[in-house]
Amino acid sequence: MKEKRIGVFVCHCGLNIAGTVDVEQVVEQIKDYPGVAHAEHYIYMCSDPGQELVRKAIKEKGLDGIIMSNCSPSLHQATFRKLAASEGVNPYFCEIANIREQCSWPHAGDKETATRKAVAIIKAIIEKLRRNISLTPLVVPLTKRVLVIGAGVAGMQAALDIADSGYEVVLVEQSPSIGGHTAQLSETFLTGDVIPGLVSPMMSKIASHPNISLYAYSELEDVSGYVGNFQVSIRRKATSVDESKCNYCGLCLESCPVKTASEFDRELAQRGAIYIPFLEALPQRPVIDRETCRHFGGDKCQACQEACPQNAIDFKQEDTIVEEEVGAIIVATGYELFPCTGIAEYASDPDVIDGLQFERLLSPSGPTSGEVRKPSDGKIPEQVVFLQCVGSRDPEHGVSYCSRVCCMYVAKHALLYKQAVPEGQAYVFYMDIRSDAKGYEEYVKKMVDEERVLYLRGRVSRIFRDGDKLKVWGSDTLTGKSIEIAADLVVLATAMVPNPGAKELARKLNIIVDQYGFITEAHIKLRPVETLTAGIYLAGTAQWPRDLPDTIASASGAASKILSLFSRRELLHEPTVAVVDPEVCRGCGQCVAICAFKAIELDPVKKVAWVNEAICDGCGACAVTCPSGAMQHRNWTARQFFEVIDIATAEYV
Amino acid sequence: MERYATLPVENGVLGAIRQFLAGLLEKKLVDALLVPLELPTGENVVPTIVSRPEQVQRANPLAPVLPVNAARLVSRVTLVSSSPERLGVVLRSCELRALVELVKLKQASLDKLLLIGIDCFGTYSVNDYEKSVKESASSTEDFLNRAREGKEDPLLRKACQICEYPVPMGADLTIGLLGVDLAKGILLVAGTPEGEKVIEEMGLEEAKAGERQPAVEKLTAERARKREEVLKQVQEEVKGLDKMMATLATCINCHNCKTACPLCYCKECFFDSPVFEFEAEKYLGWAKRKGALRMPNDTLLFHLTRLNHMVVACVGCGLCTEACPNDVPVFDIFRLVGYEVQKVFDYVPGRSLDEELPLTTFREEELPNIGV
Repeated sequence: MKEKRIGVFVCHCGLNIAGTVDVEQVVEQIKDYPGVAHAEHYIYMCSDPGQELVRKAIKEKGLDGIIMSNCSPSLHQATFRKLAASEGVNPYFCEIANIREQCSWPHAGDKETATRKAVAIIKAIIEKLRRNISLTPLVVPLTKRVLVIGAGVAGMQAALDIADSGYEVVLVEQSPSIGGHTAQLSETFLTGDVIPGLVSPMMSKIASHPNISLYAYSELEDVSGYVGNFQVSIRRKATSVDESKCNYCGLCLESCPVKTASEFDRELAQRGAIYIPFLEALPQRPVIDRETCRHFGGDKCQACQEACPQNAIDFKQEDTIVEEEVGAIIVATGYELFPCTGIAEYASDPDVIDGLQFERLLSPSGPTSGEVRKPSDGKIPEQVVFLQCVGSRDPEHGVSYCSRVCCMYVAKHALLYKQAVPEGQAYVFYMDIRSDAKGYEEYVKKMVDEERVLYLRGRVSRIFRDGDKLKVWGSDTLTGKSIEIAADLVVLATAMVPNPGAKELARKLNIIVDQYGFITEAHIKLRPVETLTAGIYLAGTAQWPRDLPDTIASASGAASKILSLFSRRELLHEPTVAVVDPEVCRGCGQCVAICAFKAIELDPVKKVAWVNEAICDGCGACAVTCPSGAMQHRNWTARQFFEVIDIATAEYV
Repeated sequence: MERYATLPVENGVLGAIRQFLAGLLEKKLVDALLVPLELPTGENVVPTIVSRPEQVQRANPLAPVLPVNAARLVSRVTLVSSSPERLGVVLRSCELRALVELVKLKQASLDKLLLIGIDCFGTYSVNDYEKSVKESASSTEDFLNRAREGKEDPLLRKACQICEYPVPMGADLTIGLLGVDLAKGILLVAGTPEGEKVIEEMGLEEAKAGERQPAVEKLTAERARKREEVLKQVQEEVKGLDKMMATLATCINCHNCKTACPLCYCKECFFDSPVFEFEAEKYLGWAKRKGALRMPNDTLLFHLTRLNHMVVACVGCGLCTEACPNDVPVFDIFRLVGYEVQKVFDYVPGRSLDEELPLTTFREEELPNIGV
C-alpha cells in the first residue's frame, strides 16, 4: 500500500464547531498522525477563501488525499469532491469527517469530550482514507422513454408534460378507457367547471399525441432492469374486437342481450357485455367483457358478431404481450372508494349511495341525465343526508387517515343538490370541516350561510329503511341532542383507499406500499414524488388522497423530475458499491435474498454472486450478510471498518 | 400421511437394518449408500459411501457415536454437482436437519437422494465409544437396550442429553426404534411417496404405528425438560462479558469448531483472510493502550461472529465442543443463544425446506417488541 499524503482541514463552521471543539487542539493532535502531511483549521471551509486554502495546500504540499472535517457529508461531500477532482486528486480520496452533527452539536457544553471525540473521528477517517482505492464513476446508458402506469388525471397530466417536452411515453391503463375517476365527476368544487369540458380535451390530446403510445385495457406484466434501463412487458388484454376492422358504428352495443351493472355509472345504470364505458371514452372502441359475455359463458350467443357489418368481432382473440424499453416509470394507479357496505350499522339500500354515485346522478351524461333522482324509485329526494368521514378517521371500521377531499366535495354536493331541488333540505353530518386551501373555507361557509345547508357536527350511529324513508339516527355534539332524520337519500362520503391492484404492482416494481397500500415516497417531506427505487416516480392518489389541483401538481412534479433526469446524456452512478471476490464466494445466495434493490444474482454456472453495479445503491447489507467476507463494499471494506472501530473504541477497551 | 412397514428381526436389530440396507442396493433402489461402517478393527464407526451389498454387513448406524456430522459429507458430495445416481444417506436427526439447512444455503442438493433417517438415542464422544467397544463385544445392543429402558446414561454427550429432536424430520424413510417391540420387528416409517415406493418394491409387510407416537412424545418431553435445566445452568456460567471472556479464555483459535460445524460452509474462513493480518505495531499499540493484550487476540470476535452467522440455523449437534482441544464449551453457548434466537423467529432449523432463513426474509409483523 503506497502511503497517501493526507491533508486534514478542520472547519470552525463559525461557532457551530469551534464553539464546542477546540479546533487548534485538534490540529495539534492530528498533524503528526501517520499519513498526515498537512493539517490546518479555518472559519468556513466551504467558503471561497476556505476552498482556496484547500487548493493551495494540495498544490504546495503535494497532497493526494484530503479529509474535510466539518458538517455531514450530505451537505458538502459533493462540493469538496468536486474541488479535489479539479486539483487532480481522485474524488474518492476526499473524505468527510463529520465533527458537527456527530460531535459538536450533541456534545455542546463539554469541550473536553467533544475535542477528544473530534480527534477520534478524524483519526478513524484517516485510517479509512489510507485504505481507499481510487475510483471513477460508473457510466450507465439512459433510455429517454417513460412508462406511465394509470391514465387517470394524474397519469394523463404526467404523460402530456413529458410528451410535450419531446420524449416518448408509454401509457398503460387497465380499464377500457382513459380518464380515471375524474371522468365520472359532474363538476369541480370551487370553480364549478363541468368535468367533460376539463377532462375530454386532455383525453383527446393523449389519444392523438405523436409521442404517446397508449395501451388501454392493458396491465403491467413484468419489469426488470434499473433506472435508465427498464425492460417492461405489458399484457394487452383481449378486447375480442379487431381494432383494424372496427369502425365504431355501435351496432354491436345494441345487439348484446346481456345487461350488467356499469362500472362507470357505479351500478346506477347497465351496460352490455360488449360495451364502451361512456360516451366520451377513449379509445372509442368496444370491448367484450368475457366475465359476463354469454358466448364466453358457454352459450351459443353470437349476437354482436352477427350485428357487426365489419366482421370485427373476434372471439378467439388472445391476450398479447408487448415489450417496451423505458428509462423511467411513473406510478399513477389512483384510488378506489371504501365500500358503502363497509359499516354494518348503515343499511345496504339502493338509496344509500357513495360520493361517486351521487356524481353520476349529478352528471348530465349520467343515468338520470343530471336530475337528482332516487335510485330506488326515480322520485326526486326532498330530504338528503350527507355523511362525511365514512370509513375515514375511523380505524375501527375503516382507515385512520383523513381522506382530505370529502369536506369539499360534500359541500359541492349539497350546493348542486340545492340548485337541482331548491325546495329540498340538505343535511351534512361532519366531524370537523377541513377546508385548508385557497378559497376552500369561504366555499364551505357559503353553503352554511347562503345555501342554508344544515351542518350538524356529529356522527351517525344507524341508518335503516322505514317504509319509503330512510331513518338516520345521529347526534349533534354541539347541542348534545340526538337527531333523527327521515331521509329520502343518504350520500356517504366514503374513504379514499388505494387501488386494490397497487400492492401487487408495487411488488413487481420493487417499490414499497404503506400499511394501507398507498405507494410510499422516498421522503415524505423532501422527495415526495420519487420512490426509493431510482427511476420510479409517483403521481396523484396512488400516493395519498388528493384533490384535483394537488393531483395535477404532483403529476407535473413527477414529470419534471424525469425531465431533469433526461437532461443528461447518460447516467453517472457512484462506484462505491458492492463487489464480490469470486474466489471466496461460496454461492449461498444470502446476499441475493437480502438485497433490497435486486442488484445481485447468482451466476448459475460459476455458482458465485454477481453484482449489477448500476442497480447497487451501496447500502452494504450484502457485505454484512456474507459470512465469508466475499462481498465487500468498495472503500468500505471489512478491514476499513475494523480500523475505524478500533479507533472509535480505543478508550473503552 | 405416514405409512408403516415391519423389518423382520431374526438376526437381531442390527442384522435387520443391515439386511434392509443391503436389499436397497441389491434391488437397485439405490446405487450407493452413505452409512456409518464399523472399522475392520471394530473400535470405531465412520461414515462411508458403500456401493457393494456385502460391504453393508459392517454398517452400524446404531452405534452411539458421531465422529462427523454427515450433512457436511453430503454437502461435500453434492456441492459441485448433484448426485448422478440414486444415493441413499442414512442420517441421524441432527444430520438431516443440518442437511436441510445446507440445501437452503445452496451447499448441497437433495436430487436423487433417498433420505433414510434413524431414531436417535444419543451418542458418546469418539473416545467414550471406543472404550465402550473395548469393554463389551455387543456394545451397540447393550446401548440400545439401556436407552430403550429409559436409563440415564452419563456417557451421553450433553448435546444429545438435551436434544428434543430424537426423530428425524422430513426423511423419506425412518428406521423406527421408539415405541416398538424390537423382539417382533423394527418399524419402518415412510414419510414421502419415495419412501412408500421403497416399502412396496421391497415387498415389506405393512404395519401400524402402534405405540410409536406416545414413546416419541415421552422422550421429547424428557429431553426438553433436561434442556431447560442445562440451559439455565449455562446461562449462569456465561452471563456478562467477564464470564463470557473467561469461558472462551482457553480458545487457541485453531478453528476446529468451525471445521466440525456442519453449517460453517465458507470456502475460506473470513478469520483466515488477510483482513486479520495486522502489523506488529498494531499488536503493540493495543497492548500499550489497554496495558495488556491477551493472545491470540481475536478469539472473542471469532466466536461472536460465528455465532452471528450460524446460530439461527444451529441444529445443536454439539460437534463443535467435541472438536475443541481445550474443552471450550462452544456448544453450550451456541445451544443457549440458538434456542433463544430460533424462538424469536419461530424457526426450527431443518424443519422444512420451505421455511426461509429468518435473516434473509422480511416479515411486516416481525419483532414487534424490539425498541418498545
